[in-house]
Amino acid sequence: MKKKKITALLTAFAMTAALATGCGSSEDTQEPASDAAPAGEEASAEESTEEAAPSGDAEAVTIWYYWETEGHQVALDQVIQEYNASQDKYEVTAKYVPFADFKKQLSIGASADELPDIAILDSPDHASYVEMGIFEDLTGKFDVSSYYEGTVNSCTVDGKLYGVPFGVNCLALYYNEDMLKEAGCEVPTTWDELKDTAKKLTKDNVTGLALCSVQNEEGTFNFVPWLWSTGAGSYDINNENGIRALTFIQDLVNEGVMSKECINWTQGDVMNQFIAGNVAMMENGPWQIPTMQAEAPDLNWKVTLLPKDSEYSSVLGGENYAVINGRNVDGALDFLTYATSEEKVKFMMDKFGYISADKTIAESQFEADSPYQPFVEELNYAMPRGPLAEWPSVSDAISLAFNQVITGTASPEDAAAEAQTTIDGIVK
Amino acid sequence: MKKIKKIFRYDNVGILFVLPAFLYMLIFVGYPIVRNIILSFQDVNAGNLVRGTKNFILFDNYLELFQDNVFRTSLFNTLRYTVLCLVFQFVIGFALALFFSKRFSFAKPVRGILLVPWMIPVTVTALMFKLLFATDIGVINYILRSLHLISSNIEWLTTPGTAMFALICANIWIGIPFNMILISTGLTTIPKELYESASIDGANKVQTFFSITLPLLKPTIESVLILGFIYTFKVYDLVYVMTSGGPVNSTHMLSTYSYKLSFEMFKYSKGSAVANVLLVILLIVGVFYIKATTAGEEE
Repeated sequence: MKKKKITALLTAFAMTAALATGCGSSEDTQEPASDAAPAGEEASAEESTEEAAPSGDAEAVTIWYYWETEGHQVALDQVIQEYNASQDKYEVTAKYVPFADFKKQLSIGASADELPDIAILDSPDHASYVEMGIFEDLTGKFDVSSYYEGTVNSCTVDGKLYGVPFGVNCLALYYNEDMLKEAGCEVPTTWDELKDTAKKLTKDNVTGLALCSVQNEEGTFNFVPWLWSTGAGSYDINNENGIRALTFIQDLVNEGVMSKECINWTQGDVMNQFIAGNVAMMENGPWQIPTMQAEAPDLNWKVTLLPKDSEYSSVLGGENYAVINGRNVDGALDFLTYATSEEKVKFMMDKFGYISADKTIAESQFEADSPYQPFVEELNYAMPRGPLAEWPSVSDAISLAFNQVITGTASPEDAAAEAQTTIDGIVK
Repeated sequence: MKKIKKIFRYDNVGILFVLPAFLYMLIFVGYPIVRNIILSFQDVNAGNLVRGTKNFILFDNYLELFQDNVFRTSLFNTLRYTVLCLVFQFVIGFALALFFSKRFSFAKPVRGILLVPWMIPVTVTALMFKLLFATDIGVINYILRSLHLISSNIEWLTTPGTAMFALICANIWIGIPFNMILISTGLTTIPKELYESASIDGANKVQTFFSITLPLLKPTIESVLILGFIYTFKVYDLVYVMTSGGPVNSTHMLSTYSYKLSFEMFKYSKGSAVANVLLVILLIVGVFYIKATTAGEEE
């Protein structure tokens, strides 16, 4: 009888175990980078690689990135192939890790000692991984003096440089020019004008404004410009300014000029609603431009600065290169020196639809009437999130507060107070 | 030589046969569980995952969790979700099983078709229900509006209470075939003679059901309910795709909250503590299952 009980317990353990083991067993990364390259191009690149590196003893350098856009993968791959062909000491390969898994893979990789040599990661997460101690100190190895200050800050911890900005983006306001003309509206520059315009544009199946409001980092990215525009800081929400920002967003939803569905819309979804004509204005980034031009060539849209409360404000996004320590650091540095040369940066930025993190390149990167140009101007007002190792927790508090007011589960005052309590517990 | 013979004696050979499976369990099931339990007693975060000391803080993670509103919500949500899903899945599944046990044309093919919800990948089902429950373009709102049951669209997935309701509906739809098939199988094991003699004795349908069908199905019912509990309790994909725990953390389950803590907020120890709470609850249910299934054999 006793034996039976033990067997029963063991079997029960086994039955429930699948669950606990599920946590660390994901190996769903793929390598589409080379698949994505056009066959001819790849073949020629391979030939030249063989010429330059006939022996198989080139040191391997691996890169992880999360871009799912084919154009991005092809451009990065081309730079890598050219690099491999230019020398025979290192052989660089890139591996695609889906964005949703990227943080998890880096965490698991860090504890299992299975990391790449270079990671191209989302800038707000940079500080967390520096704290983890997996990034190499790059101070003095790269000249970042001409880079946008915010981008350099995002990879600087305690005065030391732990990465090199790859490209930069920020959020601005897209508007449907035809709809604005039809409603007889000017382009809004202040919050009051924005609300007014959004009201006039809202009719039938069209809502005036949309912004991605999901409850995660993506949502926080879209919320903080509104917060900062009032003069409130990321760690300082429970005051008149912070409450005003929350109230403004809540009013937009309550008055029906912004759909509550925004809490389930990613930035891509928001863009799709915009090009489908369901939304007249949206907050979004420059990386949507290539898709919009391809999928809705006839849509008449323009980009302008995000309307302001007391000051213009936007949020800095983009990726940074980071070198993993204790691995092939020399190889990684060699490739990065190659990839951050002006010629290569220009090539990749153009292919990516990105703005260069190097201010001198960015300012001459686009024609005056290019849709990218407003984003270059907006960059002057853009600030980074953090950098703070605990940023993910702060971000969670901020996106929670905005979600509470949007869904009406808390008043702006209560939401601000709750967020402040959480943030005070993190940032002492 | 004698020694080797001794090793291969009847009893020991049995152990050798069990050994590979046992080792497999030890390495791939036992080790992760033990590691996870140790992790939950430490304070591991982004700062000391790779370097630095991992302090043992014993039950602090668990104590903090029980003060954490989101954790309490997810624990309550998981229980509520499991119980409600189970009740409806079971009742509807049972009714369908009884219905299809009657002999009529197409009974078998139709029963086969009803298995489709169980075969569709959960992420697909989740996306489908997400669209069905969408506020402006959703079919459910359209039908309700057309029937004049509602005057304005219900914001199913963007209001805390109704989002949970939508999740439960989706999961009931998925789980019915599982219940139906297992109970159908159970029904076929009941000897026809029992029903015949009951009808000769003049028992009506209701009496037959409660005096013959239910008692004889008891082992099947126990298995269905307990297995259903385990499958439902560890839900992850459905919630992740439909609501990601939102709006405002109102539909977080233990599994989704554990993932969020570990891999979005870098609080690895707290995340593993949540997973362990889940493990303990399922372990208790698992013991009941083993007891229920072995009870018959012991007699």
